Amino acid sequence: MSEVLLECREIVKVFPGVRALDGVGLRLTAGSVHALLGENGAGKSTLIKVLTGVHPPDAGHLTWRGEQVHLRTPLEATRTGIGVVHQERNLIPGFSVAENITLQNPPSRHGLVDRQAMNAPALRCLEELGLDLDPHRLVRELSVAQQQLVEIAKALHTQSEVLLLDEPTASLSPQEAENLFQVVRRLTARNTCVVFVSHKLEEVFAISDTVTVLRDGRSVLESAPLADHTHDDIVNLMVGRAHTAAKMLPRTPEPTSVPVLALDGICTARGHQDVSLAVRPGEIVGLYGLVGAGRSELVKAVLGLDRVTGGEIRVDGTPARIASPRQALHEFGIGYLTENRKEEGVFLEQPIHRNITVTVWKKLARALGVVSSAEERSVAQNLVERLGIRASGLDQNAGELSGGNQQKVSLAKWLAADTRLLIVDEPTVGVDVRTKHVFHELLWELARTGLPILLISSDLTEVITLADRVLVMADHRIRGEVGNDHHYERMSGRIIRLIHDRAPSAVSAQQDAK
Amino acid sequence: MITTNDRGGRAGAVLRRFSRSTAMTLLCVTVAGYLALGAASSGEFLQGPSVRTFLQYLATPILIGLAQTTALCVGQLNLAVGALGGFTACLMGILMADAGVPAPIAVAAGVVVAALVGLVTGVFIVATRINGFIVTLGTMTILLGAQYRLAGTRTIDDYSPTLRDLGRAAPLNLPLVFLTALVAAALLAAFMYGAIAGRRLLAAGGNPLAARLSGISTDRQIVLAHTLSGLLVGVAAVTATASLPGVNTSVGGDWLLPSFAAPIIGGVSLNGGSVAVFGTVLAAFVMRLIDAARAQFSLDPSWVNFLIGLVVLGTVVGGRIRQTHLEKKGTTHERTPPAPASRGQTADAALPNAGGAR
Amino acid sequence: MRTPVRTPRNASRADDEVAAPKSTQRLPIWVNQRLGLLVLTVALATLFGILRPAFLDQRLVLFPLLRDISTLTVVALAQMVALSVGHMNLAVGRMASFGALCAGFGYDRLGLPLQLGLLLCLFAGAVIGALTGWIIARTGVGSFVVTLAMDFALLGLVSLLYSALTENAAFTTRPSGLMDLRSTSLADICIGRVCGSPAVPQLAQFTVLALAGLGFLYTCTRMGRELLLTGANPAAAELSGIPTGRRILLAHTLSGLLAALAGFMAAVGTGTFRASIGNDFMLPSFLGAVLGGTLLTGGIVSVLGALLGTSLVGVIRKGLDLLGVGMESLNIYLGCVLLLALSADRVRTVVSYRKVVRSA
Repeated sequence: MSEVLLECREIVKVFPGVRALDGVGLRLTAGSVHALLGENGAGKSTLIKVLTGVHPPDAGHLTWRGEQVHLRTPLEATRTGIGVVHQERNLIPGFSVAENITLQNPPSRHGLVDRQAMNAPALRCLEELGLDLDPHRLVRELSVAQQQLVEIAKALHTQSEVLLLDEPTASLSPQEAENLFQVVRRLTARNTCVVFVSHKLEEVFAISDTVTVLRDGRSVLESAPLADHTHDDIVNLMVGRAHTAAKMLPRTPEPTSVPVLALDGICTARGHQDVSLAVRPGEIVGLYGLVGAGRSELVKAVLGLDRVTGGEIRVDGTPARIASPRQALHEFGIGYLTENRKEEGVFLEQPIHRNITVTVWKKLARALGVVSSAEERSVAQNLVERLGIRASGLDQNAGELSGGNQQKVSLAKWLAADTRLLIVDEPTVGVDVRTKHVFHELLWELARTGLPILLISSDLTEVITLADRVLVMADHRIRGEVGNDHHYERMSGRIIRLIHDRAPSAVSAQQDAK
Repeated sequence: MITTNDRGGRAGAVLRRFSRSTAMTLLCVTVAGYLALGAASSGEFLQGPSVRTFLQYLATPILIGLAQTTALCVGQLNLAVGALGGFTACLMGILMADAGVPAPIAVAAGVVVAALVGLVTGVFIVATRINGFIVTLGTMTILLGAQYRLAGTRTIDDYSPTLRDLGRAAPLNLPLVFLTALVAAALLAAFMYGAIAGRRLLAAGGNPLAARLSGISTDRQIVLAHTLSGLLVGVAAVTATASLPGVNTSVGGDWLLPSFAAPIIGGVSLNGGSVAVFGTVLAAFVMRLIDAARAQFSLDPSWVNFLIGLVVLGTVVGGRIRQTHLEKKGTTHERTPPAPASRGQTADAALPNAGGAR
Repeated sequence: MRTPVRTPRNASRADDEVAAPKSTQRLPIWVNQRLGLLVLTVALATLFGILRPAFLDQRLVLFPLLRDISTLTVVALAQMVALSVGHMNLAVGRMASFGALCAGFGYDRLGLPLQLGLLLCLFAGAVIGALTGWIIARTGVGSFVVTLAMDFALLGLVSLLYSALTENAAFTTRPSGLMDLRSTSLADICIGRVCGSPAVPQLAQFTVLALAGLGFLYTCTRMGRELLLTGANPAAAELSGIPTGRRILLAHTLSGLLAALAGFMAAVGTGTFRASIGNDFMLPSFLGAVLGGTLLTGGIVSVLGALLGTSLVGVIRKGLDLLGVGMESLNIYLGCVLLLALSADRVRTVVSYRKVVRSA
């Protein structure tokens, strides 16, 4: 049994409206790769931030080599020996690669930066990653993947005994990812513990020794050997299958009716190539893909927020040019529930009723643009009741609600507008399991009443639970389409295969659209 | 190890980058403008006395521009530049003329007081998390009042002749005050580029969240930036006191706009993280050139403000257009979309306005 | 950096449904910012009235005081409109002087009657505001820089135009009615025997109109709501179908229009149309709006607050002046008032934030 480096018990972290961590335990041993798994919003990133001193925990103990420690700042964590690559970009754009790598303890002489002494360690870290990069280049001139690798190099530079990698492969090519795994193996050989957070279970099984699974802010599996568990066990633990196997009334979309929205060979300035899809009345079409596959970007281009460079958009069979979300809403009746709730979805500092009625003021407005406050409130009240939004009143600010209720408010505004098509982007990210379930029923019911829904999700269970057909997107292209039989094992296998099959197989998707 | 070949290549890269930078454009504009003015005045403008006057009144604009640059580099604003400058100038004048304090001590006291005011401002911003704009608006108001209380309606002009002589001294037609400004600029540039403290300042401005994760306290950087800004304003007040015939309540009254114009024209971003000392100095040159040209053609002084306004507008709009143009070009080449700089979203979400004392 | 928050360890699990706050986060009425301002203003006015009975002299003190407050309230409103979309208008003062220039030009050169000159002034302000808004919306450059550049350009332009169009840098032609507007109060309006107070200038009618108009805009109409949401979160507003570009344009147009109105009122107050009008507008514009409860970050405005904030500043200014504090060193106190008021506000926010966290 090798030495336990870092152990945490009963960690609790509370944010306004949500208990992000609720009694999490974790034990990291030297020389192992520890996988930290969980769905979006399960608390992985929060746990990492607690372990690295970004957020002080509200309760619980942390011990380092058997001694209790309090990590109050990131610097303390680094000094203790915990290094990290966060999910967010944490580079200074105007600094050189070398300076970014050595940012935490830049080599200096008498308070002056020693740029010569910076290069050697930077080059060493870059070399370890097999990265041929001029350390003098400015970070802002690098590509996204290169920046990601520089971040990993930065973490290597601190020579930590525990290295936390939060989704390190999200924007890497398979070759770059393989290089990274070799580095991870070399590090563990040197008795470092690497904590690996990833959505890609294949990667996890390929390199990890032990595993902790978080669900809903709690650890449902704590520091267990990964070899004892199958792929399916882990998935079941992550999603809590008991919740998902709910009975819902059957739905029968008509496969022959005219699609409410059809994309035909769409190319965009963001790099989408030949994307075709169709959504028919009463149908839920899943658009599955990993983070960074270009799903949200596609929708934003369709809504007129980015340039569409080729292809045709048809609404109800007639070619349409959509110039702005406003036109999409008022002329074509398309609503887009964004994935980025806090930044693009709700107005945190505004009351609930304004958040909900923002899309219908145009309809409610009478002479001089007067909007009756009573009418506004009744629209909002209806939806609050219909969706079961838990709030103290319509005047409460949306920012004071819990994540799930905020998401409901965000959805309510599109239901208020009575759209003819709903595009739902990652509807249950950061939402607890129960609300997630409510959401699924809600979307299902909406589709049953005839509302077509385009469901964008990187949550396989969600897609398989809800969608009639699943389109798989990777690298800004549709890789293929799978008719959903709601059988998890069969479906997940097919979908994953489509993603990893890099040869263009957009043929089936095209055929379907025509 | 870096070979000479490497170094040559790097120097080439630096040169290439420079040739496309704002500073290069400004340098060309300055040289061309200066020569054109020289030609228009049939050479008179290129002669000693004219050069001397030109540079004499360049010192203060450079220094206040640098003071603003320092605040901008961490994403802060300093509206109190003019008020603090005026207050410090009056304080030094009073100390020398009324209290009989020797010039060196008075000057030192003035600079220290200015830096202290900057320090207090920074601490206040960090402690209360009120927007720096409003806080410096408040300190500006207070300092304006203090300046008036010090000087009243009179003009203080009976202070140290030595300081005056130094202010007017110009060996080789290079006024000492101008050299002071250049030295300050060089020191600031060296600090920002070479010193650990300066790099921390820029890191905190460029990506506050990343800086915090790397153990850099953004709060401390905000305080430091305001202190430095105050210090530079103090130096600007010294040059003003030395070169003006006397100090009164009008000193500093017209500093605010130029202090912003110089960094903005010089290519400093208002979002923080960038610093352009050379660009700021050159921008001050350009503005002074406009003024000189105005005098040369004996036009209404109002032309200067009008033209500077247009130049600022042109600079930012032009820069923006170029940027979107580059982005468009970039997206067609590079398929992966550039990740939006996710500035402080996650950690900052914890407390309303946490990282954002801006 | 972050306020550490401790919660009891045995706190109940944050189930989503349980986490819904039990009580409204609304603060009790006695901490209401606007009420506080009103009480403070009245209390200070009473205090000054007791210390210096001359403070309550209707014609000599209150009349000019209210005239100043009327003008500066409009200035604060001009700033408030820009702040409502999360922008700033640093050029309020210069837009005011530009508006006044146009009015003066209309009276002097075109011989316009009072009302038409005012219309010309408002139109000019709206145009210059619209230009500013257009540049901001179109290029995406920050409002701070654009309005700063506008300030520069107008500062030069207005002086140039005055010196080109007039002999002594001011229009002195006064159309009929202008002097009346300057000096008449409600005492000059009588319904039968009952006359109004001689303390309230008739010039205040414009302020009342502006207040009513903006109050209507922000509380009752779609435009007002859309302006606020644009300020609260531009990205979400755009995705919710609000034409944010047009709302930004609208906000700056209104801001320019109100600034011009303030310029006209200031010109009427002094009796001449000159370039120095609006020179000292920037500080009061922010003081009034921010003290009144308008957020710098956009999304929340208080029309009445702008009036109350400006009144408080006006009363302090006048009162201290009467108490013999020099007119200029008043600024020291005003600056302190601003910083103290906002610090108090900040403390309140932090307290209510902690409450939210505890309830989770």
